Amino acid sequence: MTASCFPAPAPVSRRVRAYFAPVDRTAQRPVLFDPAQQGLFDLDHPPAPWIDLGFIQNFARKAISKSSAITAGVPAAPLEQVRESIGAQVSLQFLAWTKLSMALAAASQHMNAIAPDAPAAAVQSGSTATTLVLSANDAAGFAAGQIVAVDLDYCGQTGYIGSPICGAYLRQPLTDADYIRRITFNTGLVTQVTDSTLHLALPLAGGAPASGSKVQPVAGFVDREGGSFYHEWSGLFVMEGVQGERIFFHYPRLQPMGSAEESALPLAARGQGRLERVVLNAQFLALPVADPLDNERIVCYRSFLPAGNALV
Amino acid sequence: MQNAKDSFYICLRNRLATLNFERTILLRGAVRPGILVEDAEAPFPQLPSDIYIVRWLGHGADIDLASTLLAEECEIIYGTCGCQTYGGLDRGRALTQMDAELLAILQPFSAPKWDYCTQPPTALLTQVFWDEPVFSPAVTQRDRLTRSVKIMVYSYQEEGE
Repeated sequence: MTASCFPAPAPVSRRVRAYFAPVDRTAQRPVLFDPAQQGLFDLDHPPAPWIDLGFIQNFARKAISKSSAITAGVPAAPLEQVRESIGAQVSLQFLAWTKLSMALAAASQHMNAIAPDAPAAAVQSGSTATTLVLSANDAAGFAAGQIVAVDLDYCGQTGYIGSPICGAYLRQPLTDADYIRRITFNTGLVTQVTDSTLHLALPLAGGAPASGSKVQPVAGFVDREGGSFYHEWSGLFVMEGVQGERIFFHYPRLQPMGSAEESALPLAARGQGRLERVVLNAQFLALPVADPLDNERIVCYRSFLPAGNALV
Repeated sequence: MQNAKDSFYICLRNRLATLNFERTILLRGAVRPGILVEDAEAPFPQLPSDIYIVRWLGHGADIDLASTLLAEECEIIYGTCGCQTYGGLDRGRALTQMDAELLAILQPFSAPKWDYCTQPPTALLTQVFWDEPVFSPAVTQRDRLTRSVKIMVYSYQEEGE
């Protein structure tokens, strides 16, 4: 006789996958994740605006919420419990160095190292998140294999800088016209230059460039120890079980904390070589949001989608 | 565990047929994808070349769970002498290709579990799953290069199995 359900033991999972989405700092609006509507999304193609950061390791969650008891009577006995504070921390290691993983692993402003003597070229209309249309003259200055940053000229703004992904906070105006392109997350690798168009390997994190944007080649990325700016992202961590079940950890507001740190992991067993893989350590502080369901202040959601036919 | 073992083998067989349809073996009068289960065929005086041979080894069970977890150690053996066109001088390349193909067909590391004792086969409720492969060093025997890979294959025992 064929069974129609089975008692499922604890999920077995091989690894954790991380997705991040930018918090709208000006409107103070995080990105929410609804497991009922989006829980079965293709892990290789997350729903917008989530960005796939790939598999991570040493993912650890730590609750720092505190509760205490209200006592009454003689001798005193607990009457009720109250939550004195709420908070949580998340730590993990990114297995790849990318613009975004490096920025998330640094609790400070993250910048693009703009190539020297590389004036910004105006991006023409018709550009998309994966193709940048330039004038023929400007396009001749670019080549496949270059990293580019695409964004507006800086015009003396203060406050949160960068849209839709905020990359800095300025108290005082600067004179650097390239400043927004220094801190933008709209970076990409040029795979091909054809007919005045730069083709990018992946879509720009901020989507199609805004009207008036310019493009500049980038040599690499820089972060600093110190500074007063903290990025803020919504985080989603997914464990996929071998029976098809999924565990989601959704942190609507995460700010990197601590300092930029790396770990060196030996490639081979001890005594079998000296090559080491350098991975980015990241640590985050979870900030509270009001749950739109009932206005309760929370820092994290844990969701579980059971395997098909599993007893619940 | 027989359903899990059958499902694991059929999964690898189907994936291999998709990945490299030219890797075949003529066995008992039929051309089949180049992977077989050693204990389901007549004994070989010498293991055939350029195909994968699945051999089942150890067995274990964790009976303290909501569903009993069964584990079976699987060894996949393969060897090659290279091809006659190149006088066997390509045997290292041929073994590298077999390494890559095996790694490819092992992913993803799970597959639906079926009962192949019924006709047609019956889909069961759980998945058979396995850990990452452990490749052993290549062994040279005259003109033949051989490697074995060990994989732990797991399955939950379902009601009626």
